[in-house]
Amino acid sequence: MDYAASEPGATAVASALAIKILIAGGFGVGKTTMVGTISEIRPLHTEELLSERSVGVDDTSGVEAKTTTTVALDFGRITIREGLWLYLFGTPGQDRFWFMWDELALGALGAVVLADTRRLQDCFPAVDYFEQRGIPFVVGVNCFDGARRYDPAKVRRALGLNETIPVVLCDVRERESVKHVLTTLVTYAVEGV
Amino acid sequence: MTGEDPGPLIRLFGLTGGRARPQGEAFDLVAIVTTVSGSYEPADLIPEHRAVLSVCRRPTPVADVAAHLRLPLNVTRVILGDLRREGLVTIERPRPVAQTIDERIYREVLHGLRSL
Repeated sequence: MDYAASEPGATAVASALAIKILIAGGFGVGKTTMVGTISEIRPLHTEELLSERSVGVDDTSGVEAKTTTTVALDFGRITIREGLWLYLFGTPGQDRFWFMWDELALGALGAVVLADTRRLQDCFPAVDYFEQRGIPFVVGVNCFDGARRYDPAKVRRALGLNETIPVVLCDVRERESVKHVLTTLVTYAVEGV
Repeated sequence: MTGEDPGPLIRLFGLTGGRARPQGEAFDLVAIVTTVSGSYEPADLIPEHRAVLSVCRRPTPVADVAAHLRLPLNVTRVILGDLRREGLVTIERPRPVAQTIDERIYREVLHGLRSL
């Protein structure tokens, strides 16, 4: 039977789907750069307005003024075909915005955890987060200028990663490199289906 | 003149009536929003509502709507919740990952990425 295949337009609209991929890692590790390198549009920037209640209070003893905080979310888009998109979301860097991760991670295909070998500990929280929730992730070791080229096996050991989790060296400024990281993630995620 | 211009915040407050959350069932950042075709468009719609209805004639994810409007995501969601209540847009209901991303979709994504 060939009724559906002959009407690509109708099928595409009926099954429009946007898939989330998260780009996580410490502050300044290159999340926004990675999104910008591969996105077909200039990374879109949106902000979440948070009331002080949802942010939690640092130390406001004696401070009466109401505060509003904004969390910037950068995201990029890759159109696979009409009605099928990949959205790359750079996760908010600060730990106090963990609650936003839950929403970003819900239904996500998977995540890329970017690591900087000079500050490897910065990506521990992201690794823990995705491990605990069973969300497929790969670790991308961003090879900054001047940073020593690390052996992926050493990074794996330092992060205490399961043997199956891919660790890839990358340069987030290079399109081919980012494509490699993303295809590695999708390939890894498909094995879990 | 003293202090900062309160304009933008007051404007956001006006768009949402001070509400922080959309009405009705929750929806995801990338839930697909679609303008209900042929629905009666009230004459007194604010520009942001009109913009949503125009953009979403083609099914569009929530995050993209926010970017088009240049508004924070949660303000956008309040607006979308209002339009849904008026019956002017539909917003895809949350579905479990297993039902949305099957192996065929994975293959398509992989192929699409490789041919970028």
